[in-house]
Formats: sequence, C-alpha cells, structure tokens
Amino acid sequence: MASTEQLTFAIETFKRIHPVEFQRRFLSQDTRHDGRAFLQFRATHVVKGTIGTAQGSATVRIGNTTVVCGIKAEVSEPDVNTPDQGYLATNVDLSPICSANYRPGAPGDEAQVDSEHIFRLFGEVVDLKQLCIENDQAVWSLSADIVCLKSDGNVLDAAIIALMAAVEDLKLPQASLDPATGVVSADKAIETQLTLRKRLFPATFSLVDDAYLVADADDAEERLATATLLVVLDDQGRLANVWKRGAGTIDRPTIARCIAEAKNHQNAVSSALE
Amino acid sequence: MSGAVQDRRRINGPARSVEPIYTATPLDTSLAKGRSDGRGLDHMRPIYAKAGPIASTAQTTGSASGSAFYEQGSIRISCAVYGPRSGRKTNARRAHFECDFQYAPFACNSRTHTQTDEHEISLFLSNTVGPAIRLDSYPKSSIDAYVTVIESDGKMATLAAAINCISLALADAGIEMYDTVAACSMGLRGSQWVVDCTQAEEAECSMLVAYMPSVDEVTGVLQNGKTSLEMHEQAVQACTNVCVRVYAVICRALQASLE
Repeated sequence: MASTEQLTFAIETFKRIHPVEFQRRFLSQDTRHDGRAFLQFRATHVVKGTIGTAQGSATVRIGNTTVVCGIKAEVSEPDVNTPDQGYLATNVDLSPICSANYRPGAPGDEAQVDSEHIFRLFGEVVDLKQLCIENDQAVWSLSADIVCLKSDGNVLDAAIIALMAAVEDLKLPQASLDPATGVVSADKAIETQLTLRKRLFPATFSLVDDAYLVADADDAEERLATATLLVVLDDQGRLANVWKRGAGTIDRPTIARCIAEAKNHQNAVSSALE
Repeated sequence: MSGAVQDRRRINGPARSVEPIYTATPLDTSLAKGRSDGRGLDHMRPIYAKAGPIASTAQTTGSASGSAFYEQGSIRISCAVYGPRSGRKTNARRAHFECDFQYAPFACNSRTHTQTDEHEISLFLSNTVGPAIRLDSYPKSSIDAYVTVIESDGKMATLAAAINCISLALADAGIEMYDTVAACSMGLRGSQWVVDCTQAEEAECSMLVAYMPSVDEVTGVLQNGKTSLEMHEQAVQACTNVCVRVYAVICRALQASLE
C-alpha cells in the first residue's frame, strides 16, 4: 500500500530506528544532540580514594561515563634482567555492566587493545625503580584494574584519567625484607607516595559520519564515528601520544586542530585531577 | 597469592606475588566493648540503594533493561539486568534466568586474579532470586543479571547485598515478580548472633537468609560453619525479621526512582 504522505515519528523512535539521520539533523545545523558545541567536552569529575580495599583508587565521571580504577599492591621477586624495578600491570575491564556491547567473561578485543595501549602509555609515567624494596630480592607489584561501570562514549579518556588519579592517590606502606626468613613486612603507619615522571592529559576526538569533527563523543555519536583520534599531552604541553583508530581517514589540518584543542582542554582535566 | 597461570588476554604482572605481612595494631574483635562502629548487635550498616543507571537519567541505546547500584557500609555493588530477550531454547515454556557474579579485582582485601567461588556464587544467586520471578510470563526468552562487586566487606554480607541489588535491578527492568527478595546475613560470635558482620567481625559460623515478605516465603538459606539446631532456627527467625526492614529500604529506593 503505497503512501505519499511523510512519516512522522516521536523523537525517541526516530533516534532508535534511524540513528544516522537523527544525528545529521543536529550536526548539519552546527550543534549536537545534547546541545554541546562541536569541540566542547563534557564536564570531568574525579574523586580519589574511593575504594577502601585498594592501596590507590579513583572514580572518574565524564558526563554519564563512569569508570573506577583500583590499584592493589603485592610483593614479588623482581625480574632477573631488572633487579631494581617493580611491576605495573594495567587492565581495562569492559563488561555487560556498562553497556550491551560487551559480553561477559574474558576480556574482548576492545578491552585488550585499550589495556595494552594504557600499559605502554603509563610506562612513561611511573618510575618502576621507586617500587624496589630490596634490590634483587623484593619489589612491589602493582595491579591497576580499570572497571567501567557505565559507558556513554569515550571510555578511554575516563580510563586514562582514572589511572592517573589512582596512581597519584597510591599510598604504599613502608616495607622491609627480613633477610633470615625472606618475608616482607609492611607498616601501614608509614606511607609513601610515588613521584611521577610526568602527568598525562588525554583528549579524544571523533569524525562522525565522515564529515563532522566532534570532541568527546558520547555513545550515540561514537557508534557513527568513522575515525577516532586520541591525543595525550604531558604536563609540559608536549605530545605524549597520538592514536588514530577506525577505518576512516582524517586529514592533517584536522589532526593539527585536534592537538590544538587538546591543549585547550588540558586545563580542565588538570583542575579535575586536583 | 596470585595464580601462576598467565592469562594471555590481560597484561600480567609477575607469575607469583604475595601480600606483605602487615604489622598494624590488631583490632579488638571481641564484643566486650560493643562493635567497632558503634552499631547495636541487631543493626545493619546504613544502606544506600539506587535503581536506574549509575549516572543521571539518560538511557543510551546500549543500555541495560534495568540497573541498580547498592551500598551497605563500605560494600558497593552494581548490577545490570538484560531481558527479557531472545533465549537459547526456542521452545521453552519458561524464561531462563541466569546471574553472572564477579568481584572487581580490587574489591577484596586479598587480591586473587580469579576468585574460584565466583561460579558457585553465580549459581546460588540464580537459585535464590529466580523463584521470585514469574518466569512463566516470558516463554522462550532469557533474563540475565550481571553483578559486579566494586568493594567487598564481609563475605556473607556482600552476598546478601548482591541479592538485594539484583532484586532492585529486576524491578527497575519492569520484570514481573511475585515479590522483591530481601536478604540479610548474620555471624555467630560466641553464643550470640550478630547482624551484618564486616570483614573484621566475621567469624567461623555465618548465616544468610533471603526472604520474600509479601508472600512470606524463604527463597534461600546459606550457612557456613557448624552450630546447634536451636541456634540455627533462632538465626533463621532473626534474619527473617531483619529482612523485612531491608525490604522496606528496597521499596523506598524503587519509589524514589519513579520520581
């Protein structure tokens, strides 16, 4: 039964059945569906020390995206090749708790890739020599786990900020090795914090629908993003990391623009981390 | 102690690591001076329960059907419920309900990469909360509840909190139930049952009861350790009474989520 009259939908229905067209209606008018400007980031909130059972922890919220990072410290023998260095293992946990996109069980592709990337990033932040208890015998082994509680886009930024905050919050009890028994004892009354080599400030940009550059895409925009660019700056404003994901192309002026915008955003992240 | 098996899907630290021996002053765990946080012996820790997504009211397309965030003292649990959605058996007369329980790696005091009793707890939760759901209303579908413990403080108390959290999330998802399940735990200290023990207060014998007050039915009883029959009956009765109070809190949280 052919009909020439236009179909009209309630907003929610339209958003569900034709998400691309829905977003285009806003993006073509120079705005976004939640009212933000194209290069406007959502407000970042950081709370440190939220988990009592972890030695260092932080909860980060960027809009609706909520991420918790907890660092547990244990003692182990150092690697033979690096007798004065400890360990830092970072893992991102994306589970059905945060979004319907993820399956339960072992980490999926996205979680593995994010974990690996964050691990390499933070190799520059934490000086593993500070984790040494007794050269060649005992070192601290830090396990940092970043659990996403709610995903509304841009989990990676939140994860990096959460880990940054948790590492700044980390309090290690003073440990000493008993040479006779080989047992390490720790005194919680005396605690030390790590001195970090540098601090990292992330900013993520997405190319939605191959045409519109937006900062800090939320879940609806992320699904339509053809390319995503992560820019990480250090506290001197130097470029620590640039990572482009996705099959779409981003031209060089756009990348330069993203880096400039990331510098503007750095202050917002820095004040949130205080 | 961390296991020696290296999981290739994660960034691994060293194969073996242990906790250092903490030389902190030991807490006085006898009840002579009352409990360390000043509670009465039959008082639960303060509960904060929220139905609906953790952050604000916006539902994204990738959202769960129902979710809940539950805090009891320092216990923090988050639950997401998906369903009813297409199930595994296409000719089943009842819905298939399953719980997936996991601790966050930093949730417990001693960190183990894989907690070996996560599967056992998942099964227990499915059997305890399942009876409350009207599974006959949803043939051929499956309902899944995913529970993550963000911070744990007392094994039995965390289990009870998980049950409460799942009930809240199921109600938030609009799944038909006979009643919401309320659970509470008790620990035996000397010859006295103490409600809602923390990690420091936990003793060898503990009890958990899950109860549906409106229909006056117990959906789950779990006891660790040994005790006499009279003490056991005493505990079940006392737990049931406390469950009614927890039930009131859950109902209030549900009402608040509608406003």
